Amino acid sequence: MAYTGNILRVNLSTGKAVKEKLNENWAKDYLGGKGLAIKYLYEELKPGLDPWSEDNKLILMTGPLTGTIAPNTGKLAVAAKSPATGTILDCSIGGHFAPELKYAGYDAVIIEGKAKVPVYLYLEDDQLELRSAAGLWGKGAHETEHSIAETLGDVVTLAIGQAGENLLPFACISSELYRQAGRGGIGAVMGSKNLKAISVRGTGGLKIPDIRKVSMALNKIKREDTMDEENMWAYTDGTPMIVELSQTTGILPTRNFQEGTFEGHENVDSEAVKGVLRAKKACFACPLACGNYVEKGKSRVEGPEYETLALCSSNCGIDDLEAVIEFNRLCDDYCLDTISAGNAVAFAMELTEKGIHDFGIRFGDIDKYLQMPWLISNREGIGAELAEGVSSMADKFGGKDFAMHVKKLEIPGYEPRGSWSMGLAYGTSDRGACHLRAWPAAVEAFGDLDPFTIEGKAELVKDMQDDNSVKFSAIFCDFWAISTGRMAEILSIFLEREVTAEELTTIGERVYNLARLFNEREGFTRKDDYLPRRIYDEKLTTGKTSGKNLPFEEYEKMLSEYYALRGWDEKGIITEAKKKALNL
Amino acid sequence: MKALFFHAEKCVGCKLCHLACSSQNEQVFNPRLARLKITSCYDRNGLTVEGKTCDLCMSCVESCPVDAIVEKNGRLAFDEDLCTDCGLCVDICPHEVIVGKDRGIGVCVQCRSCVNWCPTEALTFEEVNK
Ligand code: SF4
Ligand code: SF4
Repeated sequence: MAYTGNILRVNLSTGKAVKEKLNENWAKDYLGGKGLAIKYLYEELKPGLDPWSEDNKLILMTGPLTGTIAPNTGKLAVAAKSPATGTILDCSIGGHFAPELKYAGYDAVIIEGKAKVPVYLYLEDDQLELRSAAGLWGKGAHETEHSIAETLGDVVTLAIGQAGENLLPFACISSELYRQAGRGGIGAVMGSKNLKAISVRGTGGLKIPDIRKVSMALNKIKREDTMDEENMWAYTDGTPMIVELSQTTGILPTRNFQEGTFEGHENVDSEAVKGVLRAKKACFACPLACGNYVEKGKSRVEGPEYETLALCSSNCGIDDLEAVIEFNRLCDDYCLDTISAGNAVAFAMELTEKGIHDFGIRFGDIDKYLQMPWLISNREGIGAELAEGVSSMADKFGGKDFAMHVKKLEIPGYEPRGSWSMGLAYGTSDRGACHLRAWPAAVEAFGDLDPFTIEGKAELVKDMQDDNSVKFSAIFCDFWAISTGRMAEILSIFLEREVTAEELTTIGERVYNLARLFNEREGFTRKDDYLPRRIYDEKLTTGKTSGKNLPFEEYEKMLSEYYALRGWDEKGIITEAKKKALNL
Repeated sequence: MKALFFHAEKCVGCKLCHLACSSQNEQVFNPRLARLKITSCYDRNGLTVEGKTCDLCMSCVESCPVDAIVEKNGRLAFDEDLCTDCGLCVDICPHEVIVGKDRGIGVCVQCRSCVNWCPTEALTFEEVNK
């Protein structure tokens, strides 16, 4: 069976939980994961809701393939209205939580209300306990996980650290220490509900017809497709491989996006990370094992991923790998999103160096840099300012043109001036600047397409957004470059009906439009789909992107073209015809 | 005689071996019903990877009072009709890889599904005492 058919709805205000039926029509239209989580939020959240209020809901959503042997299907979607952006927010977290939830008998958990005192949830099959988190509050996510494991044994846990408790707009959720639901303050939503952790143990299983035959067929797919050379970079290198690509193509964010190349890149690239690699690590059912468990000096982490290397290394002017590893570990423990944290630190560094406001921290200052995760998570000293994110910092101190965010979400590790398609991807992403809704840099800056033209980019970004939307709803991990045809083949087996590639593309488009519709309802329009002025007005000065900007008029044209392709009007509003066509 | 070997340094903790075993032998995707136990977890000391697999030590064969588990051509065979559900084998297996069920037990029958699925060759099938 693809779905358990059950959803667990927990109300933390009343302490009551009910088991309810999964809405099958929605599951058909949205599959699971990202899509289905957004559908529930769209239907259940009142427009204009304050994301900090107890009426916000936190949804943990699995997919129809979760818990099966289908490769790369171990991820979980975690969704809520974002306290950082006010948009819809869905994150994806790896590890082993999602299958465990399914084995416990649920497709999803919907968490509502707010506990009076800090609690954590312990779910074992049909048994749910709200346990006191009094002894855990104030502790990092790592200590929380260790301590819960000592009490409950082999459970899988999602936990927040101090950043989530202190309601930081870029607090994340950690699981198995180093896997994160990273962006948009998803961890702060947990914190606002006084929910320290969610632990699950599931002892049931999933049955499907002809299971042996299916497993054999999937093993062939795993060998020939998942583990194809195209995807094996995940195992041989993992994401640090991108450092060199970005450096060579001039899109490695450096010193708060002032430059696109970093003189210290060799100290923090894939070869450097391999030098301290202790083991490779995978999520559940994943043969690609992108995780790099590293140890250097006294510090250890599963990471650092490319985004951390870009935003917390080059973007902060730090070329000391040991320092970056330690910064990464601290962020994972306190539950800071490293993309936003790196941006906030870099922004403070530039404001200081430009004499706009003296935060007392400059590019490359390792000692101060290493104090930042603690100060930010606990809102101490300058951390109190950085904790609000770059958009709020700019409101208060200035530097708006180089506060690197879209819709208040800080920009990931691909400089848009050297990858114009990434600019559009950031501008039109449903949760603010994000590289996972579409990652066109792969075929453009890193591929064969000309990065300095808008030609064909609108279509490229739209198609990738739709593909990724269905991929994250199915749920497959991003790192298997799976075709919609292959997705359809696998889903057909588990859904026990014929699923076509066309149907999946439509689902992807529907999911992306529903996310847009959610944001539209919150007042987001074209005016919110723009990049910081630095991208339009300042030319880069080094490497392959020397002399390059992304001219504003070009961006405007690309955006209009994108809206037209999407069936949205000039203001970025979804037309009635489009809604009808997608059954929205 | 050949048996399973586990190489911790290669294991990435994906649990595909558990899924392969449970789907092949129990017709269900349930890692807890696998006839091997591979764990890869972060604890306070860092990453701990451990694997328990059947090495054909024959403790179960020797312990079974009704000969429900026997060795045939270097493989274990289980006869559910003979089994009295006494649970002795489950308790005695030094590797804790015999699965206790509502009726009968599950022993490793060397189907090698786990070896076939393991993406990193962390599981191999080799001669014992070579
Ligand atoms: S099942 Fe256990 S006791 Fe029996 S032979 Fe295998 S390892 Fe030995
Ligand atoms: S399949 Fe191989 S790599 Fe994966 S958990 Fe099992 S032994 Fe480890």
